[in-house]
Amino acid sequence: MADLGLRQKLFGPSRHWLLVPVLSVLAALAICFVAIWLTGKDPVQGYAKMFGGGLGSLRALGDTSLKTSILTLTGLSVALAFSVGLFNIGAEGQLVVGALVAAWLGHAFAPGTALIHIPIILIAAALAGAGWASIAAWLKVRRGVHEVISTIMLNWIAIHLVESWLVVGPLAARSTQSQVSLPGTAQIEATAELPRLMGEINLGLPLALGMAVALFVLLKWTTAGFELRAIGASSEAARASGIDVARRTYLAMALAGACAGLAGAILILGVHRQYPAIFHGGYGFDGIAISLIGGNHPLGALLAAAFFGIIRAGGTKLQLLQIHRTFPELIQGLALLLVAAQMITRHLLTKVAGRAPQGKEAIDA
Amino acid sequence: MLELIEAILASTLDFAPSIVLAALGGVISERSGVVNLGLEGMMRLGAFFAAAATLATGSPWIGLGAGMLAGAVGALLHGWLCIRWRSDQVVSGIALNLVALGGVTFLVEALYGSTDTERTATIGKLVLPGLDSVPLLRALSGHSWLAWIALAAPIVMHLVLYRTALGLRVLAVGEKPQAAATLGVSVAGIRYGCVLASGLLAGLGGASLSVSTLDQFNNHMPAGQGFIALAAMVFGKWTPLGAFGASAFFAAANALRISLASSIPWIKDVIPSGFLLALPYLLTLLLLAGFVGKARAPAADGVPYDPEVR
Repeated sequence: MADLGLRQKLFGPSRHWLLVPVLSVLAALAICFVAIWLTGKDPVQGYAKMFGGGLGSLRALGDTSLKTSILTLTGLSVALAFSVGLFNIGAEGQLVVGALVAAWLGHAFAPGTALIHIPIILIAAALAGAGWASIAAWLKVRRGVHEVISTIMLNWIAIHLVESWLVVGPLAARSTQSQVSLPGTAQIEATAELPRLMGEINLGLPLALGMAVALFVLLKWTTAGFELRAIGASSEAARASGIDVARRTYLAMALAGACAGLAGAILILGVHRQYPAIFHGGYGFDGIAISLIGGNHPLGALLAAAFFGIIRAGGTKLQLLQIHRTFPELIQGLALLLVAAQMITRHLLTKVAGRAPQGKEAIDA
Repeated sequence: MLELIEAILASTLDFAPSIVLAALGGVISERSGVVNLGLEGMMRLGAFFAAAATLATGSPWIGLGAGMLAGAVGALLHGWLCIRWRSDQVVSGIALNLVALGGVTFLVEALYGSTDTERTATIGKLVLPGLDSVPLLRALSGHSWLAWIALAAPIVMHLVLYRTALGLRVLAVGEKPQAAATLGVSVAGIRYGCVLASGLLAGLGGASLSVSTLDQFNNHMPAGQGFIALAAMVFGKWTPLGAFGASAFFAAANALRISLASSIPWIKDVIPSGFLLALPYLLTLLLLAGFVGKARAPAADGVPYDPEVR
């Protein structure tokens, strides 16, 4: 099985798992540095603004912490599905569903205190994301539908039903004077707004950190986690040794969807305070890049999310140089492309090292 | 009622070409065994470079050529990673989408100082003489040449795939590459050729958005059409005529949504436009789940070819 071996090499654990991602990110930074230079702008100033814009002030740290928490959660979503060998391209849809539930419960339900309101919303959004992801798991387990196709379809079903129907139709905010629909859902109650630490830092950050550590512990030290990894290594072998592959597949996809759903809730409760008319912005697709750049490891995803959280928060400062604020997303995309091209990187490393066995070892490890 | 049908037919002919061409790109790539999730990115490259070349030369036909080339460059990168280096095809396609998304945004800003280009010349419209007074048929007149290219392309691809030796080699490589190689077929050669064709088609589909459907590139393009094309490919069971039918059906659903919104406003309360937008994906999912027929991907789709493995 050629492809299985390759998948393991790509996604399996490796002693050198940090090497390829770090080199890929550095190479992507270098390519984009040259790209700025080629357009006649000053790349040194650009990069200084980009990193400074993400770290320079308390306000910048607030934006960085928000982006880091969202990227961490969608990255974890993808990484968790990878643990059982499934490719979750559906984080975007799971995030949208979670965000909708958060926006709805944020104003339709008013228990009077944030201590009850926020946890209930977060749990409900996680459950909604988990439920949406479970459809893909069910299709996989019961109907043999490849999860790549089903999660892509589920993304667009969620996006269109939520953004072109629910948010502009049944759940649209009505202004008090007339029956005219305003863009987006009604504002959430004050008790649903995520508190900010030190005035700026979003509460999503500790939540995302907690999830990363919790999932790391789950995968590394629990029986369930061991079974998930066993399925990821070889679902046939796992089945033969008595692991309930279907049940664990549901668990992995549900947890993956829960992470993405939480990301959606944090965006609503912490930033938008409603489900706005224009919302879905590709954070789910970013999760794929974050997970792979992070070696499909929960803590690796956290690191990758922190790095890209910083430069993406700093992206707005690039506008001072007439560079589009989405420039850091290009760096992220290139880094993913280079991770996809890691066979080339490993080949080059082998040549540089001048010792073929070492390179072979690095691939097989 | 007749007017409504004519309006839907006419706007289907305007909407469908980009989806049909990209879906055919998906079919040819996946029939040879290379998964292509990068259609969206290739379309974006095609749309941007077509507009840029048209602005530079004044000729939208040169623009179409440039768009096809740009799609092909993206496809060759995908093919090189997947065929030469046996990279993960799903990751490579998604990475291509993200790079095209960010890269084109960067280029538009650098070249035009905005997120859109200026207005371009567009591909001419083909007026069929004598149809103006014929009910129903008059809806066929006055469409871009792209509409007719998109009608011819699926038939050509069908004939090549099922009626020529080359086409049968492509199918063999996508189903049983080892067996094809035993018979002297170059698996890598066929796959490179098919991925290249896929990029040319998706690039042309993207180009049709910026120099035919609209008269400029704007930064939302292709707005998920690459994924609709992907759904059409699956819904059409990985065949050229099937993908064409599915693309036309999805485009008609979109045309229905727009025509209904303007001609019968109250219909929006009965059938929200979100339903019609989600319909292609929902139907594709139901088909895959076996609730409406059955679709099967080519056996070697997504499996890198390793000559040493039997």
